[in-house]
Amino acid sequence: MRRWIGFILAVLVGIAAGLFYGWMVNPVKYVDITPATLRVDYQSNYVLMVAESYQAEGDLALAARRLAVLGDRPPVEIVRQAMIFAAQAPYADSDQELLSRLAIALQTWNPALEAPVP
Amino acid sequence: MRDERGHWYLLTGLVLGVVLGLTYAWLISPREYTDNSPASLRANFKDQYRAMIAAAYVANGNLPRARDRLDLLKDEDVARALAEQAQRSLAEGDSLSEAQALGLLSVALGQGAPTAFSPVTPNTILVTESPPSATLPAPATATGISLVMTPTVQTHEPSASSTTLNQTPAVTRTLLSTGTPLPTRTPTITPGSPFLLQNQTFVCDQDLSDPLIQVVIQDSTGQELSRVEVVVTWEGGEDHFFTGLKPELGQGYADFTMTPGVVYTLQLAGGGQVIPDLYPAECAAESGDRYWGSWLLVFARP
Repeated sequence: MRRWIGFILAVLVGIAAGLFYGWMVNPVKYVDITPATLRVDYQSNYVLMVAESYQAEGDLALAARRLAVLGDRPPVEIVRQAMIFAAQAPYADSDQELLSRLAIALQTWNPALEAPVP
Repeated sequence: MRDERGHWYLLTGLVLGVVLGLTYAWLISPREYTDNSPASLRANFKDQYRAMIAAAYVANGNLPRARDRLDLLKDEDVARALAEQAQRSLAEGDSLSEAQALGLLSVALGQGAPTAFSPVTPNTILVTESPPSATLPAPATATGISLVMTPTVQTHEPSASSTTLNQTPAVTRTLLSTGTPLPTRTPTITPGSPFLLQNQTFVCDQDLSDPLIQVVIQDSTGQELSRVEVVVTWEGGEDHFFTGLKPELGQGYADFTMTPGVVYTLQLAGGGQVIPDLYPAECAAESGDRYWGSWLLVFARP
């Protein structure tokens, strides 16, 4: 009986060691990922780029399409998440202003009214 | 009896546990799945990220910021990656504005242009130009994308290897930022009669740092055409490039950097006139300095 208990304890210690190594010391490095799995700061940077372009181009449908690569969430939610990160980071006021303008524009944007993109 | 079996069972359990732990950590529930950097993006998403960087650069003109963003992708040669993507974008018929943005950023990075760059706001760019000629974009200035080469008559003293070459003065090409609306459609190639070589000139311009083959494509009215594919071949190699990727030099402009000692043949994609024996040749300045000259080829529909 003592041997079984010792064996099980050894297995548990081994599992703990394996998890520590596999998660902390040498975690899996992913390649060929999608933008939706980017770290939040990189996603926020991407959203800021979209906001910068929108500021110049004024094409809200294009901005929404560009944001769509970050996941299935509504575009305005994606921008809001970026705004939260931008406030915490913090981004420059002018950059936060750009994000804010994009979010406001997207709040009233109705994709159903957009002409289909060829 | 028990003591004779020793403690190997502990080691067995430990190894078994480690294997189970690693299997779970690496295969079943790996960490960092939502904590990735742009360098890990799939190739097509990297292209999208790169295009977005270029679009933002065209919007705000902030080159250091664009460079920092591009560093995230960990491309070996950032400018080349941009230029290649611009070529692919044109070849696949994607957005011309996207290809131009990529081209602009590629050029800016290649030149180490200063940060000042008039951001593109809707309907703000007008390209004006005198007859096409060989010029290399000067660094952008604080007042706009001023890519001006002053018209000068240059002394052309061909080296022994270029005694039959003619020299023409450089002509100004200027990109102005104005309030004039940007045309929504850019002239592009349409089926018709083949292009013919209208002018082949060897140009000596000290402002060109590399020996170039410069191509300008025009329609029958003299309007420049973008997205025309040009094929350059040489012994053991071939390259394709498109007009319109350096819009500051004209929608119908494209260039290719020659390697000294290599002889090139140029032809527009889809057949047509073959232009052989294009190779770098030296020019001499008044001070005696020698530098590489460039070929300027102007094609037009008859």
